[in-house]
Amino acid sequence: MSEIRKPRALATQAAGKAGKFGRANLAATLKAKEEGKKVAYMYINNGQDEIVRAMDIVPAWSENFAGVCSAKRDAEKFLQKAEAENFSRSLCTYATCTIGFDIWREELGEIPPNTPWGGMGRPDMIIGSAQQLCDPRIKWPQATQHYLRDVPVWMGTMYYPPWDQISDHRDQEELYVKYATEELRALVRFCEQHTGKKMDWDRLEAIVNLSDRTWDVFIDTYELRMAIPTPMDTGDAMNTMVPLTFNLGTQEAYDFYKELYDELKEKIALKKGVTENEKYRLVWGAGLPSWFALSDFQYFNDKGAVFPVETTYRNAEKIERLDLPKTNDPLEHIAWRWVRIWTHWYDKARKRPGSLPKVERIIEYLEDYHCDGVVFHCAYSCRSWHAGIIQQEQVLKKAYGDVPTLIMEGDIVDISSYNEVDTHNRIDAFMETLGAMKRKERANSAGP
Amino acid sequence: MADEQLSGLATAAKYYSDYGSRARELKSMGKKVIGYFSSLCPVEILTAAGVVPVRMKGNVSEAITRADAYMETMICPFVRNVFDAAIKGKYRYLDGMVMPHQCDSLDRTSDIWDYNLGFQYYHFLNYPHLADDPSIEFTNEILRIFIGTLEKFTGRNITDQALADAVRAHNNNRRVMRELYGLRKEDVPRISGAEMMQVLIAAVSLPVDESTALIRRVTEEVTNRAPGFSAKKARIMLVGDQIDDIAIVNAIEGTGAHLVMDDLSVGSKMYWDDVAETGDLIQGITDRYLNKLKIPTTFVSAGNTYEENLEARFGHVKSHIKDFNVDGVILFIYKYCDPYGFEVPAIKSYIESVGTPVIYIEDEYSTSSLGRVKTRIEAFLEMIAG
Repeated sequence: MSEIRKPRALATQAAGKAGKFGRANLAATLKAKEEGKKVAYMYINNGQDEIVRAMDIVPAWSENFAGVCSAKRDAEKFLQKAEAENFSRSLCTYATCTIGFDIWREELGEIPPNTPWGGMGRPDMIIGSAQQLCDPRIKWPQATQHYLRDVPVWMGTMYYPPWDQISDHRDQEELYVKYATEELRALVRFCEQHTGKKMDWDRLEAIVNLSDRTWDVFIDTYELRMAIPTPMDTGDAMNTMVPLTFNLGTQEAYDFYKELYDELKEKIALKKGVTENEKYRLVWGAGLPSWFALSDFQYFNDKGAVFPVETTYRNAEKIERLDLPKTNDPLEHIAWRWVRIWTHWYDKARKRPGSLPKVERIIEYLEDYHCDGVVFHCAYSCRSWHAGIIQQEQVLKKAYGDVPTLIMEGDIVDISSYNEVDTHNRIDAFMETLGAMKRKERANSAGP
Repeated sequence: MADEQLSGLATAAKYYSDYGSRARELKSMGKKVIGYFSSLCPVEILTAAGVVPVRMKGNVSEAITRADAYMETMICPFVRNVFDAAIKGKYRYLDGMVMPHQCDSLDRTSDIWDYNLGFQYYHFLNYPHLADDPSIEFTNEILRIFIGTLEKFTGRNITDQALADAVRAHNNNRRVMRELYGLRKEDVPRISGAEMMQVLIAAVSLPVDESTALIRRVTEEVTNRAPGFSAKKARIMLVGDQIDDIAIVNAIEGTGAHLVMDDLSVGSKMYWDDVAETGDLIQGITDRYLNKLKIPTTFVSAGNTYEENLEARFGHVKSHIKDFNVDGVILFIYKYCDPYGFEVPAIKSYIESVGTPVIYIEDEYSTSSLGRVKTRIEAFLEMIAG
């Protein structure tokens, strides 16, 4: 019998509003020319967005555009365009989707017909980031420039000390922060050169301060999800991540999370959960979602499973927990923030023999959010976030215990990688495992 | 010492076939052996530390049977194949391993290597992807940290003199290899592509002085060969990352072409540029590996225009095409390789712009698809022949 596809229900009103941020961000890139503003192609979690905001450059978030095309199930035409130019299907499909769009827009001299949400404006510059974790961040801008030859590319970095069980990362943190700060300073020079404006350092400081407060309110809000039943799950979080990820350093992003905080408080007071009968609580352990199959979260919810917490797009922490050294340099502050967001798990992992920072994070979420199992998603075209998931699963079981886990497979953009029936069968089997575990726990707690 | 009874080419063939055999001998004599990935690894520092560096490779003829339990299948097929060999115990003789930060498939699996193989020494060498001034300064420090970990592991200091000697030895090694490459410029190269591949692979499995001696012996032997006379054959250049097996070379030469040049990470990329022997040696090593070494994971910002930037990225390929009189280029890129994969349209059009035909082949690190690859190469050579 075929399944009836239900649209994904949103548990929060805020999640519904998050989409407007994404749409407005794309629209801003199209309007920028009329307003005399420069547009920069950018890539998320790069530590560069506050500088760009302070310089009044409009960021065009390429991953956001590709995600929208995926969610609309309308990415294939762009993927094929890129493939025709010899970009392999095995490469990052965020990148190939956007490059396909760029190629087509250059051919037409205008936005290709029926582009989801109106597409993105042609950039005046491309700001890349050779981060620790993503090769496409350096190759994608170069590949794009092959079709937009007049558009300058700037590349920065943001690395963090590698994890090592025996050596103390603090010995290297300052080296990494100094390096990252110098790269951010070079970005300021690039932006000044291409806008003809000087950086307003007071304004940047105010934006950085606002970002700190946004991180704080974001975490305060998300930690409300520890409540039982949880008032919001990962299905919503894949929407509510938009302001943090794409609008950091804006008052609108801060206000969004204040509003979400109030909404979740109200739900908790009313004991209103994501599902009427919350049976299983799960950690979304790693992996970007299949944007074209977000309804899978609904499938989990329909079976009484909720995700009160996820590692994906939770790229923030309470500032006080990061214990950032004091500095008057906003660029150095940004650098410390982005280095410590990774290294602040290291000490905890070092204390548990055989653990790893990423696994320690999952363990913390399992305990704090009272979860029963962990679900991962492995996207075939993205090595940066998805290589090493098997390792995380194995280390989790070895270092912590036999937690039920599920690794789903698919992609972020390429729908041809996805098999709904197979995915749902796997979820069903996982639910049976969780059910058996719960029955065993009940039997054990009942005693002999 | 290397086997003096065999000819240079036969010795190379032996070390190629029984990869790591000399390192195992040295290990049994008490030497420490360190495996490493990538042309980014500063082998000078390993040599100066008194350890035997061995470039890690896989086996294209062996199916991956155990790595899939540890690594996702969308990781670079070469990396998975090498891990498969390692988890099966084929690198049990290593005392340690160096993992340079070349790409995501190495970076994101670093914990998997460290965690599951239990080497006494493991170091992730966190190279940046840029070569601007802050990156140079950062890399100098990263190399000093690397040296510190090696000193701790071996229990002896790496002196300035030891580093200077190692730099000179590796420069010498590169120089003699370039001389051997030079013998491929003739109409009928003195050394075939398959022989050259065996020498290249043997060379990275030996201590540097033994490697240099072997290359010299091979050069002497092939120089003494009578010049070849044959009908005009297509002269092919192979471009890619770690292609380290003669299977693909045989597929090219089996169709009647000469493989005369490469831009591979086990080939010319390793040998074309030296470390400056004067001044600050660490700075010289950084400069060689970040600025001079042409690999797609190091972002090149040079040039005021896109066309100038292409010259900075791929100009060396154009020089090779001219110097070795190349008729056609095979871009052989592994599936799931973002760094090389995203370059394909740019490098392909760049090479074609100088009038040299290019075929792009995406494949696995495996002989399972060799038949299909061979068919495509045959069609390409027919096209070149016109």
